Amino acid sequence: MDTIYTSLFAPIGDDGLIGGLLILEGLKSTLTVTFFAMILGAVLGVATTFMKMSDHWFWRWPANLYVGVIRGTPVVIQLVILYFIVLSALDVGVIGAAIIAFGLNSGAYISEIIRAGIQAVDKGQTEAARSLGLSQRQTMQEVILPQAIKNILPALGNEFIVLLKETAVIGFIGGVDLMRAGEIIRSRTFEAEVPLFTCALIYLVLTYGFTFMLSKLELRLKQSD
Amino acid sequence: MIKINQLYKSYGDVEVLKGISEHIKSGEVVSVIGPSGSGKSTFLRCMNLLEMPTSGDIIIEGESISAKGASVDDLRQKVGMVFQNFNLFPHKTVKQNITLAPIKLGLMTAKEADDKALELLAMVGLTDKRDAYPSSLSGGQKQRVAIARALAMQPDIMLFDEPTSALDPEMVGDVLDVMKSLAKRGMTMVIVTHEMGFAREVSDRVIFIDGGNIVESGTPEDLFSAPKHSRTRAFLSKVLR
Repeated sequence: MDTIYTSLFAPIGDDGLIGGLLILEGLKSTLTVTFFAMILGAVLGVATTFMKMSDHWFWRWPANLYVGVIRGTPVVIQLVILYFIVLSALDVGVIGAAIIAFGLNSGAYISEIIRAGIQAVDKGQTEAARSLGLSQRQTMQEVILPQAIKNILPALGNEFIVLLKETAVIGFIGGVDLMRAGEIIRSRTFEAEVPLFTCALIYLVLTYGFTFMLSKLELRLKQSD
Repeated sequence: MIKINQLYKSYGDVEVLKGISEHIKSGEVVSVIGPSGSGKSTFLRCMNLLEMPTSGDIIIEGESISAKGASVDDLRQKVGMVFQNFNLFPHKTVKQNITLAPIKLGLMTAKEADDKALELLAMVGLTDKRDAYPSSLSGGQKQRVAIARALAMQPDIMLFDEPTSALDPEMVGDVLDVMKSLAKRGMTMVIVTHEMGFAREVSDRVIFIDGGNIVESGTPEDLFSAPKHSRTRAFLSKVLR
């Protein structure tokens, strides 16, 4: 009990820092970055999907390069390169840089999710729609996308959970997220168990809560089948 | 109505259609038979450009559809297609399946399309299923909806790609009955089928395709009773027992 008190509720260090408040601050950063990165990722993901499905190499080539580079390198390196090199001249802040880095990262994976969701729709659906005289665009809007969305949404929820956990490397560029908050408390109190288990528990509650909401959503999507 | 000149189709090195020429007249009901892999489905799918011919010309109502600049979408509005696997839109009700294309293409108002859909559903005997989703229908019912959906575009020609092959035997009759009534109304129909009895009863002409070529073509009586070609005889002796 003593260690819980000192780790989370008592001032630690000369600046009067309180562990519990630091963890709340970190949680706020984690959620902010995850939320806005997901939105940025969704926008980039949709745009990239359209580029990849284009008939013209001029659009396909950069999209393929983008997805290839992002998928082929660790997110930590992407984050550090973006903050210290690409964005170093701009004043976007640690959180801003993290949102951009994780948004870029997520966009590549989301475009793959959308592409897979579209390709999973039976080819016969396109043939039937086109045989009725619908254009490629009408076929996409009226027939393919409404069916693909059922494949896409669950995978998108999963991507959100992955993203939430991956933001735990924000400390690499000096940001204080949930993970970093735990580390700061550990290094100041020389107590590892309480801060680290607290952080892990918070991640677990967040992902479990989200998974639960997701399963409810999937049940509703299945109803029209 | 449809003139096909020297139609070739290859997938890579594999030549599936080897110079097919054919003339299908208005109101004619033509059955296409042949062993699997003979190219008969590819032949049919070329007629609405679901497969792009490698070379050759297809002329529908005087317009070449394989010419550069030809509007594929406009052509397809005139040529209805029914698939082996129905390909109904699972996220739309039966009625919405039928009204989607006429409304989206601006050919009918929502009201007109609804009336047309109900008229067609009555014709195929599925009025009571108008608000059902495809997943709740049997195979035979699905195929009849698919026929109604194609007819809603008021096509001049209907193509059928093995329409009863995916059906349980007891469902086949209902679908064939709908097709028979269509034939009686003077619809131009090209049917790829394994239903020899049906081909014999309903067709004006039967085409036997093997190895990417039309081997023999003639009235059902001639082709089934007195096939001229040995390959036709060999095929028929296997399928007619």
